[in-house]
Amino acid sequence: MSEAPAILTRALSKTYKDVRALDNVNLELPANRIYGLLGRNGAGKTTLMSILTGQNFATEGEAEIFGHTPFEHDPTLSRICFIRESQKYPDDFKASQAFKAAAIFFENWNEELAQDLVRAFNLPVKRRIKKLSRGQLSAVGVIIGMASRAEITFFDEPYLGLDAVARQIFYDRLIEDFAQFPRTIVLSSHLIDEVSNLLEHVIVIDQGRIVINAEAEELQGAAFTVTGNAQKVAQFTAGCKVLHRDALGSLASLTVQGRLSDQQRREAAELGLDLSPVSLQQLVVRSTLNAAADQNGTMEQEARK
Amino acid sequence: MNRIIKVARMQLINKWTFIGIPLLVLACSFLLTLAIWAIVRRAGAEDSVYSGGAQAPMWYFLALGIQALTLTFPFSMAMSVSRRTFYLGTVALFSVCALALSIFYYLMGLVETATSGWGVNGQFFALGWVAENNAVVQIAFYWVLMSLLFMLGFFSATLYMRWRTTGVLLFTISLAVVLLGTVAIITYGDHWPAVGQWLAAWTAGSVTLLGAGLAVVLAGASYLTLRKATA
Amino acid sequence: MIDDSKPIFLQIAELIENDIISGVLAEESQVPSTNEFAAFYRINPATAAKGINRLVDEGLLYKKRGIGMFVVQGAPEKLRQQRREHFANQFIAPLKAEAAKLGINEDELLAMIKANSPT
Repeated sequence: MSEAPAILTRALSKTYKDVRALDNVNLELPANRIYGLLGRNGAGKTTLMSILTGQNFATEGEAEIFGHTPFEHDPTLSRICFIRESQKYPDDFKASQAFKAAAIFFENWNEELAQDLVRAFNLPVKRRIKKLSRGQLSAVGVIIGMASRAEITFFDEPYLGLDAVARQIFYDRLIEDFAQFPRTIVLSSHLIDEVSNLLEHVIVIDQGRIVINAEAEELQGAAFTVTGNAQKVAQFTAGCKVLHRDALGSLASLTVQGRLSDQQRREAAELGLDLSPVSLQQLVVRSTLNAAADQNGTMEQEARK
Repeated sequence: MNRIIKVARMQLINKWTFIGIPLLVLACSFLLTLAIWAIVRRAGAEDSVYSGGAQAPMWYFLALGIQALTLTFPFSMAMSVSRRTFYLGTVALFSVCALALSIFYYLMGLVETATSGWGVNGQFFALGWVAENNAVVQIAFYWVLMSLLFMLGFFSATLYMRWRTTGVLLFTISLAVVLLGTVAIITYGDHWPAVGQWLAAWTAGSVTLLGAGLAVVLAGASYLTLRKATA
Repeated sequence: MIDDSKPIFLQIAELIENDIISGVLAEESQVPSTNEFAAFYRINPATAAKGINRLVDEGLLYKKRGIGMFVVQGAPEKLRQQRREHFANQFIAPLKAEAAKLGINEDELLAMIKANSPT
């Protein structure tokens, strides 16, 4: 059976009073892959996920999950799991009770996995959720997200307050479980370097707009930084798209879009220039900064008219 | 349907909230009342004694209506439940609990009458004005009253969920203005004696009908408000 | 191990190639599964699969149905051949460029290579 894409949006926009939280978002994401939804805090990541999970609604445009509008549609909602970063739990609930509730609603719930994660995260399940630390609260959300094994699972900044060890546990378990039970996973994050190796597809959102929507492998090695004598750097990068420019006296460091050929590597070596790869994180930072600059540029131009 | 029952099961995960606390409140209020009656009798009072203590759990339902929504609604969203399903499951569960408690009130009222007011001629469950009606009216009276209070709490909470503090504030102010206006009209028109007669004419049956009507209106308004609420 | 210089599936393919050349993965021996690679390198299983499939396409690995991937007989030799072709480009050119920068002439360079005994 050929199924509709896991996630589809058409000209999706969301306006809060005078703030444009989402601006003409168009996505078509096939099922059973791991997606990275990256961007700064307040870029619109949570708003987008809320609309995709029927927890919020769009001002304009459409959102579909497996071909259905999720809003108030139980059959579709039951295929989704989205624990928000600021998730509220009933005041009197203990973590164990939240898991009990999740086990009632999520048909693919795996209690063994949940218990396993509780041990790995060292989570005090008999303590009221209200009294848990930020990291433990994140762990509750991560455990529900993982053990639900929902067809589409959204993780909203799942690592907040988790220490390095706990974060690694999360990433390791995610790979392990995804390998056994492939499903659609959307990982929202602003700690890009940590998750970049897990992602198959990357979506970068900035000020409500999609600025990057590409396969991870297209982005790996898609830019490089050249450092050295300013003149030689200029000579080497002539005609290239420059993403970023740093200068220190006669030393220049340029981040350039494009893939290095062997020819270019040799040329750089001959010119005595240093080449270094650009991480996904740096690429995202550069792209969002440039997108912001472009936008300000157009606004200034419009203002001048 | 299945998911509606699941919502009810979720609400019951902490059994204290829906079942334990109301019973505890009732038990405490009853025991305190008995103690007070014993003291009063000792002091030499002869007439029959009344207590409004049976109301106590009902007021808890007002709080429960607020709590069921504000605490569980955002969580139910995370459990991928639609607003409609959450609403139906929660209201249905409450109705069943309230009906059970109403029947319990009626049965305790029978015991109260049979033991001539717990041996001290007291009226706790079987208040004369209600107890003079048949079983159906008695049970319906308690049930409607509990539901009305629950829906009142539930409705104010949906207002909060949808429009936050502004919504609740506006609603409270408008309600106060309407009440004050009514009182003003009655006072300036010298209608108070007429109002007194009108109030005296109410029976448990007619109160039940009016309450049921109000509860249904609140239930409808709650659903319409909740439909577009966000966690 | 995995860096940002190029797509991860290419890096995985190269890592496996290195193991084949060095003999860590012997001819006709079984290669770890996609999921094992994914878990070990902490990468997406689909990416690991893509790296492995690339080696299948190049005729270095082959699939036994229901069992897994194995190293093709003669794969190390094939790889050595390929690497030799790239050797000059990858290593000699930068070596000569660096030597020129330091003012080391060709004779001196040759002498240095001979004198530098492998450890």
